[in-house]
Amino acid sequence: MKKLLFLSLVAFLIVVLAACGGDGDDTAGGDADEVETVGTDLEDATDLTFWTFAGTHADFFASAAERWNEEYPDRAIAFTAETYPFDQMHNNLLLALQSGSGAPDLVDIEIARFPNFLQGDVQLEPLNDLIEGELDNFITERLDIYGKDGNYYGAPTHLGATVVYYNTEIMDEAGVDIDSIVTWDDYIEAGKQVVETTGIPMTTIADGWYGIWPYITQRHSDFFDENGELTLDNDINIETLEFINQMVNEDGIAEMSPGGNYHSEEFYGFMNDGGQASLVIPMFYMKDFTTYMEDLEGKIEIRPMPIWDESDARTVGMGGTGTAVTNQSENVDLAKDFLYFAKLSEEGNIHLWTELGFDPPRWDVWDAPEVREDNIYYQFFHDDIFDILLDIRDDVASVNITEHTPDVLDEIDTNIMHNAIREQSQTPEEALREAADRVRSVMD
Amino acid sequence: MYKNLKVYKWIINLSLTIVCLIALFPLISLIISSFRPSSELIRRGITFNVNISEFSLSNYNYIFVQAPEYWQWYMNSLIISGLTIVLSLFFSSIVGYALAVYNFKGRNLIFLFVLFIIMVPFEILMLPLYQLMVDLQLINTYTSIMLPLIVAPIAVFFFRQYALGLPKELMDAARIDGCTEYGIFFRIMMPLMLPSFAAMAILQGLTSWNNFLWPLLVVRSNDMFTLPIGLASLLTPYGNNYDILIAGSVMTVIPIVILFIFFQRYFVAGLTTGGVKG
Amino acid sequence: MSATSATSKNKQNKLMKFLNSKKVVPYVFVSPFILSFLVLTLYPTIQAFIMSFQRILPGQVTFVGMSNYDRIFNPTFYKALQNTTVYMILTVFILVTVPILLAIFLDSKLTKFKTIFRSALFIPSLTSVIVAGVIFRLVFAESDTAVANQVLGFFGVDAVNWRYNSWSAMFLMVTLASWRWMGVNVLYFLAGLQNIPKELYESAEIDGANVFQKFKNITLPFLKPIIIFVSTISIIAGFRMFEESYVFWETSSPGNIGLTLVGYLYQQGIQQNDMGFGAAIGVVILIIIFVVSLIQLLLTGAFKRSDM
Repeated sequence: MKKLLFLSLVAFLIVVLAACGGDGDDTAGGDADEVETVGTDLEDATDLTFWTFAGTHADFFASAAERWNEEYPDRAIAFTAETYPFDQMHNNLLLALQSGSGAPDLVDIEIARFPNFLQGDVQLEPLNDLIEGELDNFITERLDIYGKDGNYYGAPTHLGATVVYYNTEIMDEAGVDIDSIVTWDDYIEAGKQVVETTGIPMTTIADGWYGIWPYITQRHSDFFDENGELTLDNDINIETLEFINQMVNEDGIAEMSPGGNYHSEEFYGFMNDGGQASLVIPMFYMKDFTTYMEDLEGKIEIRPMPIWDESDARTVGMGGTGTAVTNQSENVDLAKDFLYFAKLSEEGNIHLWTELGFDPPRWDVWDAPEVREDNIYYQFFHDDIFDILLDIRDDVASVNITEHTPDVLDEIDTNIMHNAIREQSQTPEEALREAADRVRSVMD
Repeated sequence: MYKNLKVYKWIINLSLTIVCLIALFPLISLIISSFRPSSELIRRGITFNVNISEFSLSNYNYIFVQAPEYWQWYMNSLIISGLTIVLSLFFSSIVGYALAVYNFKGRNLIFLFVLFIIMVPFEILMLPLYQLMVDLQLINTYTSIMLPLIVAPIAVFFFRQYALGLPKELMDAARIDGCTEYGIFFRIMMPLMLPSFAAMAILQGLTSWNNFLWPLLVVRSNDMFTLPIGLASLLTPYGNNYDILIAGSVMTVIPIVILFIFFQRYFVAGLTTGGVKG
Repeated sequence: MSATSATSKNKQNKLMKFLNSKKVVPYVFVSPFILSFLVLTLYPTIQAFIMSFQRILPGQVTFVGMSNYDRIFNPTFYKALQNTTVYMILTVFILVTVPILLAIFLDSKLTKFKTIFRSALFIPSLTSVIVAGVIFRLVFAESDTAVANQVLGFFGVDAVNWRYNSWSAMFLMVTLASWRWMGVNVLYFLAGLQNIPKELYESAEIDGANVFQKFKNITLPFLKPIIIFVSTISIIAGFRMFEESYVFWETSSPGNIGLTLVGYLYQQGIQQNDMGFGAAIGVVILIIIFVVSLIQLLLTGAFKRSDM
């Protein structure tokens, strides 16, 4: 009897285990969050799943899916967006693409991770047929960063034009007219005046790529050249890092940013309390201002980056997230058409601005009435934001991304900025040369 | 002599109080922070200068009223942890028990396997294990989340240590009475091991409740998230969702505190008998 | 052999007898473990071992011989090894000595509110590392108004950039680990203490032994098995540490001050998409853990006890 009891217990446990799979599926259909699921109630709708690491991007695509279903009822989609933690979303995607199973139809891939997905046999679908007819309308540099061998694999989320956000309250107190700042020398002079009068640093420098990449790119240099050769330790880069070092450690107009980057709890608090007079960062940071730094409303003015000399670019496209279609999608064409609709079309680009506050990578919408309509960003900042962009549109520099970009970014995070600027244990030249050697050893 | 005792008494109670305050400090500050508006937290961090007048229940209001997904994650975690406790106690105890009371070929080898599982870095198993789950079609199921925890090496180790201390004479007596080997375990030895079950219930519940890396690999949809994953998904490079994160974290700790207070007497008692034979 | 004489000879009974034999029973009991070990540990470990000789890209898996292993022993790896070793030694030391002391205190007749103290010590281990990380980042923030720096300021010490100095980085990791695991280890030792016959202390007192003599001659020897158990687990956990570093710096810490062996594995294998190299690092970590635990168990004489 007891053996029977034991065996039936084991059997019971196996049934319980097997039943759990069913449990999961039930809940999946049941109380899914309505915000992130669109069109599941439509008949004949095709399932599309989307992974992202930013809740706002999930909302953006969900609202695009609603518009799509109204416009193309015959090609309706049942859209599901899943928001994962940043690191883990990329890891899961890597494992799913590697093992050939489990990847979504559409996925957001952050720029620093994108090169990982362009190695080996690329498991993403080229988007060339969607874009090629309209290349003139794009700031094409922003398409190149998600490309390889002439194929475009990612739909950009924003131009990421780097600008300077000035805190006018502090600048006024110091008696500096921000429109008089044209060159970086002007910027340093203004910085000295700010520090002298107010005791507040002109800016802060991040320990990561924000502290170097925009500056070298502005001077048409980069970590890699167009051919993928490492240029991390070239003369312009050394000179530029010396310039950063001068701002922080000689002129004393800049400090290292609290928390080490511009997205930490500490930094938001610091900036919000008027901790620094200006911040060099791409346009997409507007959203952070409106979300975390409410006290600065009406006090921030946006201006183009200062330059070293006339040949420098007026702005640089930085950061970014490319949305890609994976080859595991069962409806590649539908996924691509939807991606075009949501993010690459004129209408999609307008929504990038109105919903996310991002500067659209298509410049032909910068004049569109929908873009010029009043919204929270115009209220928080000022209303000529896109005039500034249109003014510098022909002069946007962008970055070259290779499969070893993640190695360089890691060197910047761990060694270059720390040793050369924060600790000063190495000169900028030493730090860059040593880091370049390490990256070269990986590249061989 | 008595004077000495008084001094000792003071030293002991005072130092324990201090250590406990340090231990509890981060949690207390978390609870306090959960009543502060998140913008205030970002502005000032965790700090001693707390302004009581700014306290509000808005964060809790948010997770209770506006965040249905949070409660879905909560349910998932409760179900998964509950099942994991029951299943892993059963499977780990029979293994530990067998290793302790029977003499059989391969016993030491199996014990070595137990130690091996504790040693191997999980990170290198990620890809092969993921592939396995894909092949078994278990992706995005509770089963795949629980599977690696069900035979838990530390629990096996512990049950073995505990069972070593059980009186073997009882087994012989039971055999003479016609009890089968399974009967001996389920009717005689298992009740004797109850304290160790309580102890492992806490440890297994804890492990499962806080498990992060593995569930993340095998869940595919937001409504299958467990609490730690859900909370981590609120921390993003494009803005953190502190309202729900901090208040949500407080709510996360509560069930295991209850579980612990419920079982802790057994826990100490359970370790006692097991420990001697270490 | 243990069954009473069978009265019926039918098949089912034979099966039952077979299943009930003392030779078979233990295998029935351990079979779920064997199955799970083979499927969930051994099989993937072998796979990982094979991967360590490969370069793995989607659709392009190639054997590259020993080249992954050739690349391992570089300065970054040694930095990670150094950090991990220091971390392991510190945590093993702190998480063995302090819990013993606390356990003795908790066990003392002189202690009041035992349950409250016990719960308070155990509660931190209930907190997930994600949550603990958020709290610790805010407590040890750079600003002067963050709690840790406020405390320093109270003693007249300058604010510290906790996450940017090598010593404070180690301090953060060890503190986080100690905070989380202290209570669990206290409970292990507490249990060990319950097994010491009280009469031993009484007779020692009659002989005039003082507190320290009693501790050295009675308490420590009785606690030895538990000490071995706790230190073994702590050594392994120390070498496998990753989370305590990840919550402060994710995978890239300034000057690699927070880089651990498993962190290096994660960074290279997963983040930089070099899974073959990651697997090779994993194999090396496994060998290190295996050798160190083995030496530790031999030195402490754990193998002399047949039942350890």
